[in-house]
Amino acid sequence: MTRLAEVKTFLQSISFRELTLSIDLLACAYIGYFYLQRVFYATPEQLASSTWLSALLLQVVIYSIAIMVISYIVLAFVSDNELEQPLDVREKQINLVGYKYTAYILQAGICIAIFQYQAEAQGFGPSIEYNIPFLPLHIMVSAFLLAEVANYSAQLYKGRTGDIYE
Amino acid sequence: MSNGAISNSIRTLRFMNNEMTQKQLAEKIGVTRQTVMAIEANKYSPSLEVAFKIAHVFNLPLEDVFQYQQHE
Repeated sequence: MTRLAEVKTFLQSISFRELTLSIDLLACAYIGYFYLQRVFYATPEQLASSTWLSALLLQVVIYSIAIMVISYIVLAFVSDNELEQPLDVREKQINLVGYKYTAYILQAGICIAIFQYQAEAQGFGPSIEYNIPFLPLHIMVSAFLLAEVANYSAQLYKGRTGDIYE
Repeated sequence: MSNGAISNSIRTLRFMNNEMTQKQLAEKIGVTRQTVMAIEANKYSPSLEVAFKIAHVFNLPLEDVFQYQQHE
């Protein structure tokens, strides 16, 4: 099979659901990049400011909603009512596998954030050492975004390989 | 669940039934084309309901569509 034929076969095999998952994944990855970039390049004064942090979180929420709404409007135009079709049994199973990874990452994120909070209260840990205020909050937001990326990635991978039995 | 324990003849049966496409079969049994692809490739074992629906489409008993081989 030539490269062109392989590409054609691949494009034909992409389902509408894979397309929506890919867009969700890209949107989520961009939001994660936006958040982390703002945090990494923030000045110590900005990081210590609760006003700056709440404005950043508000931006993240607004951008997330705007990107999702725009992408779904575009998808609604290109689909043949495929957005309204319910998931079949296999897709529901793949969905659950994705949520399993989401749960793992969220649990780990919350545990690390609690540990970090306790360490901070005792006067040690990275937030004291590197002077990063609100570190438990950053850990939880990062864990949430990472969990969403993992959810969409796992669904795409499992849907593509068919290896959904674990 | 081990892979390859359940095999099927769906691809052959589709071609024997006026070269039915995966999409047509998917619409008849109420799943997506990707699910039909996964079942045909033995990557996914369908639910009992979907298996019966597929057999009903081809008007055959279940064991003529799906075969189960127990591993030693």
